Amino acid sequence: MNPLNSQQVRELIRVVDQTREVEITCSECRDAVGEYLERRLAGLPIDAALERVEHHFTLCPECREEFEALKKVLNATG
Amino acid sequence: MGETEINWPELLRAADNASAVEQLRGLVLAALRVALRDRSDVSEAHLEDFTQESIVRILAQLDRFSGRSRFTTWAHAVAINTAFTELRRKRWQDVSLDALTEGGRQLAEHPFAPAESTESSEERTVLLDVLHRAIAEKLSERQRTAIVGELQGLPFDQVVALLGTNRNAAYKLLHDARKALKQHLAAAGISAETIRSTFAP
Ligand SMILES: [Zn+2]
Repeated sequence: MNPLNSQQVRELIRVVDQTREVEITCSECRDAVGEYLERRLAGLPIDAALERVEHHFTLCPECREEFEALKKVLNATG
Repeated sequence: MGETEINWPELLRAADNASAVEQLRGLVLAALRVALRDRSDVSEAHLEDFTQESIVRILAQLDRFSGRSRFTTWAHAVAINTAFTELRRKRWQDVSLDALTEGGRQLAEHPFAPAESTESSEERTVLLDVLHRAIAEKLSERQRTAIVGELQGLPFDQVVALLGTNRNAAYKLLHDARKALKQHLAAAGISAETIRSTFAP
């Protein structure tokens, strides 16, 4: 691999900056994402446990991608 | 009948669950069709395969459903994960562990392109220097390998497979690496605010 380019350096710095002592894993995110999305779509408040889902999205592009897909599904099926 | 009135887990756990499974299969297939409608690399046969695989996983993981969302929302999340994981695996299957490990070695030696340090402010140069030392000295080879995979856009599942470990262990490896880098920057007196302002796009 070539040395990191500006974008990769920024991404590394960003994920380091976003790092928390306690985080959820992808499977924990997947278990909670349905509740998180339903509450968001209904305009209901997000508690601390669900806020961790939101935080996970800042570190995990795959869970974020799957969340966007799930949002499309819920928007289409109601 | 509204969905809230259907007790999906109970119906799916029943000995005679054939009609519930069939109904769920239809819902999952429709959901995946929506979720993947913008992907030109997904055929009807793929959708059928993903649906079949998803149903198996959903039935095997019923205990993970907490009841805090609609059942179908949870089931769709499992199905979307099943489909996307498979699509990512196909796209990245040619990346080798050797290439990643070599990338990790380079990351320890010359992590940044020359332009990164010559065109930088003094603050930025100091930050990159501290970061370089942290990468070289505070991380293990496996941690560097995993970070290289992430920065190259490799899906997490591929990193897990290449490292020959499981998802939780790989997540911990990366989480520990990020924490070590963060602690090292803090110990060097570099604040989060400095990091953000120095590297604002
Ligand atoms: Zn994730």
